Amino acid sequence: MNPGSLAAGALEKRHMPKVWRYTLSYAVLLPLLFLVHLPLLWMVVTAFKAPGYGTKLDFIPSPGEKMYTVENFRQVFFDKDFPFYRFAWNSFVVATGCALITVALCTAAGYAFAKKRFPARDLIFAALITIMLVPGLIFMVPQYRLVLKFGWINTYWGMILPHTGNIFGLFLLRQHIRGLPDSLLEAARVDGASELGTFFRIIVPLSVPVMITLFLLTFVGQWSNFLWQLIVNTPDSPYLTLPVGLSLFQGQYQTEWEKMMAGACFSILPIAVLFTISQRFFIQGLTAGSVKE
Amino acid sequence: MSAHTYLRPTARPRKPLWQYYDAIWGYIFIAPFIVVATVFLLFPIAYSFYLSFRETWLYSNWFDQFADMRFVGLKNYLDLLQNPTFWWALLATFVYALLVIPTQIAASLALALFLNTKLPGYRALRSAFFLPHVFDVFVVGIIWLLLYNPQIGPFAEFFRWLGVDWFKKHGFVDNPYTILPSIAFAMVLKGMGFGMILFLTALNNIPESIFEAAEIDGANARQKLFYVTIPLLRPMILFMSVTGLVGVLNAFSEFYAMTKATGGVAFQFLGATVQSARVSGFYLYQLFYDAFYGHAAAMSFILLTIALVITWVNFRILGKEA
Repeated sequence: MNPGSLAAGALEKRHMPKVWRYTLSYAVLLPLLFLVHLPLLWMVVTAFKAPGYGTKLDFIPSPGEKMYTVENFRQVFFDKDFPFYRFAWNSFVVATGCALITVALCTAAGYAFAKKRFPARDLIFAALITIMLVPGLIFMVPQYRLVLKFGWINTYWGMILPHTGNIFGLFLLRQHIRGLPDSLLEAARVDGASELGTFFRIIVPLSVPVMITLFLLTFVGQWSNFLWQLIVNTPDSPYLTLPVGLSLFQGQYQTEWEKMMAGACFSILPIAVLFTISQRFFIQGLTAGSVKE
Repeated sequence: MSAHTYLRPTARPRKPLWQYYDAIWGYIFIAPFIVVATVFLLFPIAYSFYLSFRETWLYSNWFDQFADMRFVGLKNYLDLLQNPTFWWALLATFVYALLVIPTQIAASLALALFLNTKLPGYRALRSAFFLPHVFDVFVVGIIWLLLYNPQIGPFAEFFRWLGVDWFKKHGFVDNPYTILPSIAFAMVLKGMGFGMILFLTALNNIPESIFEAAEIDGANARQKLFYVTIPLLRPMILFMSVTGLVGVLNAFSEFYAMTKATGGVAFQFLGATVQSARVSGFYLYQLFYDAFYGHAAAMSFILLTIALVITWVNFRILGKEA
């Protein structure tokens, strides 16, 4: 991304001094930024409030008043009926499992679609790409039936496997591997590398950044896949994930906003941290899909 | 017989054996993906189509309803088309799409234009605006429920401070008039950073020389924006409209969260009681939840048709010269 491009139409008035331009920009952007992050702020502040204070628009405690506490987190984390430590672990397993399998499937298939020649290759690929246009809800009822049939209600498999055939991921990996020079593969063959050796020693190491991107996108996507996790779990399932757990918790404790927000923190904050340390990969992946359009 | 006939078999170059290996290995490498995609994507599309002509009935085996559905022909589709709740679901989706998609595109573009300069701290600002996009939409919806709460939320209080008491009385998501705009507002704030990144990428792909040429021709900043930048961003606007539309047709979690799983306050529409925020995705979920699997499948095919038609129209309108 090239800053300072002349494309910045809105404020690119040559005669306008930089200082004014910047001040004007900040005057617009900073309040907007505050608004964008208001839910995050509100969640964190409410989660730290003592019982009863979450419903008050008071933030500065008067002397001697106990307005803030970490009790909510402790209570929610080890709650008997809604154990958020379990929910968080389940979300982690589902998101990680789904991301690992997705990356493995997409890398292998992406390699074949990019570098192998076999009958009907392009036809199969085009058919897969077409599926991307289909609204995702079409898959809900039939996938539910499959999960029912396989006996996967209330299991990790039921939450993970139906979402591992990620066509966007396949596309991402195939585009990347296509860009790798054929000479590398020929050199490997001349040196007597086996097919699997070529894949694991040449293709995989050269694709690591894209694989990380796909891993992160899938991880975040499945961490937040509320609808599917809602329908393949019964409320007494031991494998409830964070959003589903939170929705049940909400049904039970309508008014205990402090605890509800503490529960929400378990979903939001890990993702915020993950994003902050790995945003380069996120943005690469998200823009790859659109630029190729 | 000439020598030619004898030469024939050798005249055709023989494929080296490794090429067949190559094809076989190709199939081996795609096999796992293809298996998963066939079972969980291709088969469901066909099965959904099949289901849309069938329905469970009164005497269905309740423990395996799918195995015991009757063929009902087009009844599911006709039922939907005759039901005011279905039409409200489509209308609500349409209204929501009109609220959210243009706003989202305009807000994202504005952000991208602001942050396409060397404004100090522009990298941090870009990341900060992008961050909410990766949050769980259901959980964010729950937080907004608190923010929109008429008694204890800050927004109603803020409007009262401005002298508008209406929200204190009626709430934001507790009345059928402001529920869709309120949800749209929350979702635009969450998603505008993502759109911004897309626009920044697109802006970066526009050659500088075009702007230089416009400048030499004496275009001012406003003219450059409306006659150069925006027309050149057309493909990206098209892309965002199409993906935004498919997103809205699929939207569910934010509505589920912000209506406490009800679909919103009920009101009268064409003589029927409808939930004000039961958009198409929520409607489909409700059909599924009530075990009308055939109707749900029919609904999903209606959604597919709508998505395809609007995508096509979009390409016709915006895709020209793009």
